[in-house]
Amino acid sequence: MSVEIDWMAFVSVFVAAFVGAVLIVGFYATGLRLLVRAGRIPVVTPAEFTDAITILSEKEIKRAEKHAAKAALKSPLSQAQKQLAFVGACACFALCGLAVLSGVLLIVFNH
Amino acid sequence: METAALIVVLVIALALFFDFTNGFHDTANAMATPIATGALKPKTAVLLAALLNLVGAFLSTEVAKTVSGGIVNEGDISHALLPSLIFAGLIGAITWNMLTWLLGLPSSSSHALFGGLIGATLVGVGTAGINFGVVLSKVVLPALIAPLTAGIIAFAATKIAYGITRRYDGKPDGRSGFRLGQIFTSSMVALAHGTNDAQKTMGVITLALITVGWQSGAHHEPQLWVIVACAFTIALGTYLGGWRIIRTLGKGLTDVKPAQGFSAESSTAATILASSALGFALSTTQVASGSVIGSGLGRRGSQVRWRTAGRIALGWLLTLPAAGAVGALAALMVVWLGTTGVLIDAILAVVIIVGLYLRSRRNEVTHANAMSDVADSGHAVEHPEVPPPTRRQTRIELVRAMARAERKADEAEKAGRRARKLKKNGGSEAEIKAARKAADRANRKLAEARTAAEEWEALSASRRARARLAEWDVSDEEAERREAQR
Repeated sequence: MSVEIDWMAFVSVFVAAFVGAVLIVGFYATGLRLLVRAGRIPVVTPAEFTDAITILSEKEIKRAEKHAAKAALKSPLSQAQKQLAFVGACACFALCGLAVLSGVLLIVFNH
Repeated sequence: METAALIVVLVIALALFFDFTNGFHDTANAMATPIATGALKPKTAVLLAALLNLVGAFLSTEVAKTVSGGIVNEGDISHALLPSLIFAGLIGAITWNMLTWLLGLPSSSSHALFGGLIGATLVGVGTAGINFGVVLSKVVLPALIAPLTAGIIAFAATKIAYGITRRYDGKPDGRSGFRLGQIFTSSMVALAHGTNDAQKTMGVITLALITVGWQSGAHHEPQLWVIVACAFTIALGTYLGGWRIIRTLGKGLTDVKPAQGFSAESSTAATILASSALGFALSTTQVASGSVIGSGLGRRGSQVRWRTAGRIALGWLLTLPAAGAVGALAALMVVWLGTTGVLIDAILAVVIIVGLYLRSRRNEVTHANAMSDVADSGHAVEHPEVPPPTRRQTRIELVRAMARAERKADEAEKAGRRARKLKKNGGSEAEIKAARKAADRANRKLAEARTAAEEWEALSASRRARARLAEWDVSDEEAERREAQR
């Protein structure tokens, strides 16, 4: 009894998943970085303080917001540079969404 | 024929029940990390998971085709016997699934299903009934490779997420923005879960339909009513399972940071979706666990707790043979007693399910039985409270320490010179004493700054920083020599 295994299928899964995840994470992280450069530092507080949240307390959030506002004021970039960074951030988030969408569409059309 | 039809109806009912338990058990796979990081309110998370599981079930049927048309050689098995064997296999899967759930042992619904089917077929027909090639290439190897793949991808993604957003000037890095991103990535995991797990049940039902001739064996595509029934059942299971998580409020989850959770979920979703497209029947629990461990290791200074990791891996390895053994026992009844055996199996299944359900009602819902193995696997990685510095941070700190040491050396030299000058010019005793005290203090600070600089130097991998330090040491020695000569 010979068993044929399609090793290339495993390689395909690895490459597709790796490229997909790296693109999504890379674009999103770059978007966040550019948003910070544009002086719009996101401070996203937990939606609900469940028992699992040990990362951020209410006091820490207020401090983080204050810190972010202060850092945004001290940005060395000009207004035009900040706007460019913001546009770049939006483009990165859009590319991230596009990567997700194309992945799902690939599966639907393969089917 | 009537008996076979009755058995197929029983198979469909049991398969849908299995689908429900699968959703019930696996809600936390998608929603454990966003709840842990506070990306989503638990109620919203559960509703979103249920809806996306429903949508995901309609996206692809490749996994269903693998289950219905590859694992069991249905052409070589008597059509009167096969539905009974599938029934026995499902009993094995459900019993093992519920038992591990109650005992809080790591398990996988998918492997329980395959184990049960394989065990029952081996007892009923022998090795001829199993297509070992498909089992190896589409079930066993993906089971071993997928968690590793997800772990490697999550590790790389976490490194990228932290690397891109890292700041060296101490200003806010905006990483809490990953929390918003987690809403999308966790939704993708729920969608991916629907594309893989709901289809396993579709495959089992389709296989049963083919054996009694209610569907042509020429094509293994599940019928629309099968897809709709399985999609709604897994969505309902996910929704009801999520309420247990809400009741525990995420207790027992590991410390997951938003950037880490985002990377882990991206890796899980990408791995499952890519595998679903090629028809690999994965365990979504194992893939999500692999991602959580990989992303945990992607954080600086993390270490694996091998004991916890080993316990989880052992649970995974046990699932297939254990569910197979229970399925084989149920199949023995069918082989020995025929239709009576099926009835005994059905009664036993009802007794086991009702018994376990009542037992679960008696137990208080805690993190131990509400959170999935994914949450558990987070404990397999240990994070230091303060992560070690990166190479660049080390270099920056080294330069800072060197500059501080230089400043302190200057201060010490000035204070010493002032003390000598006062002594030479006949200053008062109190003035000389104060100047000497200042020189001693400056020398102590210099020693501290040098120690700090040496420590950073030991950590630094930068040749340039080492060279600068060596240069500074030489100039310091020269200054001391000149001082001694004077």
